[in-house]
Amino acid sequence: MTTTGYIGRRLLQIVPVLLFVVTVTFVLINSIPGDPVRILVGPAADAAAIEAARAKYGLDQPLYVRYVRYLAAVATGDFGTSIHYGGVAVTEKIFERLPVTLLLLASSFTLAIGTAIPLGIFAAKNRNNGYDHLARVTSLIGVSTPSFWVGLLLIIVFAYYGDLLPPSGLIMPWADPASVDGATSRLDVLVTAASHLVLPSITLGTLQMAAITRIERSSMLEVLNKDYVQLARAYGVSERTILRRQAFKNAQLPVLTVIGIQMTTALGGAVLTETVFNINGMGNLIITAVRAQDYQLIMGTTIFFAIVFVLGVLVVDVLYAVIDPRISYGGGAGE
Amino acid sequence: MVPVSDSTAAVGDSARTGGVADADERSAVSRTSQVLRQLKRNSASRVGLYVIGLVTLVALLTTIDADLFDYQFAATFWYHPENDPAGSTILLPPVGIENSFGTGSWAHPLGTDHRGRDILVRLVYGTRIAVQVGLIATGIGMTIGTVVGAVSGYYGGWVDDVLQRFVESLYAIPFLILVIAIMSAFGKELGIAIVGVSITTIPVFTRLIRSQVLSVREMEYVEAAKAAGVRDRHIIFRHIIPNSFAPVLVQSTLQVGVNILIVASLSFLGFGVQPPTPSWGQMLAHSRQYMIVNPWFSIWPGLAILATVIGFNLLGDGLRDAIDPRSND
Repeated sequence: MTTTGYIGRRLLQIVPVLLFVVTVTFVLINSIPGDPVRILVGPAADAAAIEAARAKYGLDQPLYVRYVRYLAAVATGDFGTSIHYGGVAVTEKIFERLPVTLLLLASSFTLAIGTAIPLGIFAAKNRNNGYDHLARVTSLIGVSTPSFWVGLLLIIVFAYYGDLLPPSGLIMPWADPASVDGATSRLDVLVTAASHLVLPSITLGTLQMAAITRIERSSMLEVLNKDYVQLARAYGVSERTILRRQAFKNAQLPVLTVIGIQMTTALGGAVLTETVFNINGMGNLIITAVRAQDYQLIMGTTIFFAIVFVLGVLVVDVLYAVIDPRISYGGGAGE
Repeated sequence: MVPVSDSTAAVGDSARTGGVADADERSAVSRTSQVLRQLKRNSASRVGLYVIGLVTLVALLTTIDADLFDYQFAATFWYHPENDPAGSTILLPPVGIENSFGTGSWAHPLGTDHRGRDILVRLVYGTRIAVQVGLIATGIGMTIGTVVGAVSGYYGGWVDDVLQRFVESLYAIPFLILVIAIMSAFGKELGIAIVGVSITTIPVFTRLIRSQVLSVREMEYVEAAKAAGVRDRHIIFRHIIPNSFAPVLVQSTLQVGVNILIVASLSFLGFGVQPPTPSWGQMLAHSRQYMIVNPWFSIWPGLAILATVIGFNLLGDGLRDAIDPRSND
């Protein structure tokens, strides 16, 4: 099967997964006690106003009718309207917030991968000496620390005591300079955006960095012990060349798997990071939606999170095939 | 302690070495003691065991002797020894340190929170919630995940397809959001939190076991059992699952740490156990407003979480090295 065919087949597999996601979310959300309509109209409203609002949002229909309608709507990209935000389309709200979260995710993954891979290789190369132990202890602490606590500590040290970086908010690098405080040029906006991004990216990236460092180290160690590497060594190939030419590429498959798994962790982590730094992204949106019992918005954001994740996994799977041409496109999940 | 029973360790061993190892009773005993010896020799996993032991002891103490750490003191709002809300000192720093509210004393070694409650006592009670949810949720998730994974891998075909798509969809919803959705639907109680976290744990074990089963399924002794007409259920529960015991044990240990982190995150977002019941994540959430006046309030609960999770991670890593010495170094 060709690569395109493979991608096509994987895309098809996504359909039942998303169907399950929509169903699970729908069932869960509709089990929430409490009446969103009452929250919307307020305690003073009379019965007629409540009924009118109920009919307006289609909440007067039986559950299965709502489910079928919802499925049909979602299939056409319509996620309904948000009660909390006064009837704005859920998709509009999501597309307003999605860039913020994607920027945060991209920046923290860049940070994590950019530091973890060299660190892991370095640790493997210096196996069992001081540097290795330092890297191992650091990554152990990294995978054991609650990310939001890292955020709180960073705020205490760098924002309150050091007064070096802003403790909250996020500025988009493509924002209009006129809308950004104290910015007169594009450069000002970029600098402000970068300074706002530092602490949240470290907060969100710590766990990813630690997890990737650990797998990079053990994967490199395993490859460095392989017969063909020993043979290369026996032929007098320098350790540098071995690392670069023979070992590196072959050690990256398990690393990719872990990066894929870390994506779902990171999406959850984005919720925490956005809460700690008061960033108006997808995570904040979903928490607001849950607090306000905004059914459509909760379902829309949850499903969107799932879509982002599933597409991310697809990218990892395709990268897998690119890195290792031996992987059969016909087989099951590329583990 | 680590529940490594002799028989399971022996089967695990024979599977690992491709059935070459002699899995009789004697080698089983020596294998287990070898794993235990390895564990003891590894100083990292020893530290892990000590930490877990200490944390469990603290959690148990609060249930055995309620007077040792005054629960009222931890849970009630505005509590003070004289029961006088006005007299309690809020946001006191740890012993020997001074802030705008006063100087810390041994009466409250780690200081007090925004309601004048002793932070140490609240930490101690928070341990109970963390350990409870961590252990129980991991246990439930592991059990269900193992069975689903074994069935899925053993039967293959459409059973496997359906189960795998279901597990993938559970995986696709970020687990924090899944638990939040479950808790807002069914209530913000400890029991619901446990169920929610167990559900997010299922896919981890399903994947692990399924891949194990796919390799074990082809082994001669399973084929022999099939040929001898042994029932499927018997093969799954007596042969396939015990054979995957070693990796499951390692993963469970690590997963307890992960689940403790999830529970803390939930509490931090306000979806865990509700106040006044003390939990670590909730303490951190409260501390956010007082980071400038008393940063210590933010530091202690995080350290408690970090230490506990490190304990489980160290033990998990140690177990993996002891069971499969090639895996690391």
